[in-house]
Amino acid sequence: MNVREIMTKDLTAVESDVSVRDLIFILENAEMPGMPVVDDDGRLTGFISEKDLIRAALPGYFELLHSASFLPDLNQVAKKLTKIADDPISKYMRKDVFSVREDEDDLRAADLILRKDVMSVPVVDATGRLVGRVRRIDLLRHFL
Amino acid sequence: MIVTVTLNPAVDKIYWVDSLRVGRVVEEEFLTRATRSSTSAGGKGVNMSVVLSQLGMENVAMGFIAGSAGHVVARDLRAKNVTTNFVWTRGETRTNAVVLEEGQSRILIFIGEAGPAVDANDVKHFIRRYRRMLPSASWVVLAGSLPPGVDADLYRDLATMAREAGAKVILSAGGDALQRGLEAGPTIVKPDTREERLLEGRSLATRETILEAGRHIVDRGQAEVVIVSHEVTGDVVVTRDAAWEIRSSVPASELKNLVGADDAFLAGTLFRLANGEPMERALRFGLAAGVATAESEGKVCGDVGRIEARMNQVTVDRIS
Repeated sequence: MNVREIMTKDLTAVESDVSVRDLIFILENAEMPGMPVVDDDGRLTGFISEKDLIRAALPGYFELLHSASFLPDLNQVAKKLTKIADDPISKYMRKDVFSVREDEDDLRAADLILRKDVMSVPVVDATGRLVGRVRRIDLLRHFL
Repeated sequence: MIVTVTLNPAVDKIYWVDSLRVGRVVEEEFLTRATRSSTSAGGKGVNMSVVLSQLGMENVAMGFIAGSAGHVVARDLRAKNVTTNFVWTRGETRTNAVVLEEGQSRILIFIGEAGPAVDANDVKHFIRRYRRMLPSASWVVLAGSLPPGVDADLYRDLATMAREAGAKVILSAGGDALQRGLEAGPTIVKPDTREERLLEGRSLATRETILEAGRHIVDRGQAEVVIVSHEVTGDVVVTRDAAWEIRSSVPASELKNLVGADDAFLAGTLFRLANGEPMERALRFGLAAGVATAESEGKVCGDVGRIEARMNQVTVDRIS
């Protein structure tokens, strides 16, 4: 079966100049942990998730620490998040985005979700335009 | 591909009752138990999207959604194979509560909420997404009421963008949104006559006044086709070259649920037009889709077999 038959047909996405504040609103309301980033033609150019924003709000040395208990407090995280709230998401999004084509085999989507340990994979058409996404639950529903 | 725009979609909650009991004094028993109920995504463009998908036509539903009711709308549409592309806003998508009497087509109660307010930032986000869809759109449907906070010019602006991108436009609205939308010269206009039977201030009460109002619109180049619901199972259609009255011979007693029938009519007509059929044949299929919907318990019917079974009970008479 190909990806098109199992994907969630939803085009919810953001442009790279959307602010961090607006993105947080959209992620919360759409109940999506991450979102594709597209250009004005609808072509996939990146991906940004809650995780990317949390990482952006943490101090640069955080990933070198063995435990979050080494952080003095979370105030500095809150301050950093407030500071970047009006930044465009282009500063924090991942540009090395991966995707599947709608005419590819469903196994390719499953493989990406497992290997990359992600919640969903954007689906594009032959021209690179976003046409949907495959979520973990789409795979489970499909394979049951 | 077809794009439907429903700026103020709804959750349609339909209750069927044996009879409606309305309490007049505190002590009086007034509990009415529903014999059954249904919950589905609603709004004119949304209903059209569902019918188009059932007919096998690719389409994308756009608009604003909010809150938990917004999720109901999005999930229901995706379950019905409609591609969704909604902008999330603050508040809660409206709910329409409809009460129908078992075995009757008449609506006992229809309560429609106003819907959440939409601000300029939401509209900006929507327009950006809408523009992205236009290059691949052959038809754009602009249908239903505008949400609070939205300028009455929005349908005009959206119709203009669609026409500039080479798409044909169906505008189905009422009041100021319809009035302003006509300035963009939509391909087909269908006034929403549920609240007022007026088109540019002209009465739509009789077949003759509909013809007069329709010709006024077409002659001024404000639309190529004007469609006006005339009676429960009849419509009058006016174009530059001709006018038709289309009616169904299905008795009113066989109709079970009129909610969505009008939208199914428009979706059926659009389906055939988008497949290159002439207006007269498209209208016949459209009315058959409307009748099939009104006959079914479900809100809309896009079952080709059931629609075609009703085709021979639809007449299209040229009246001008």
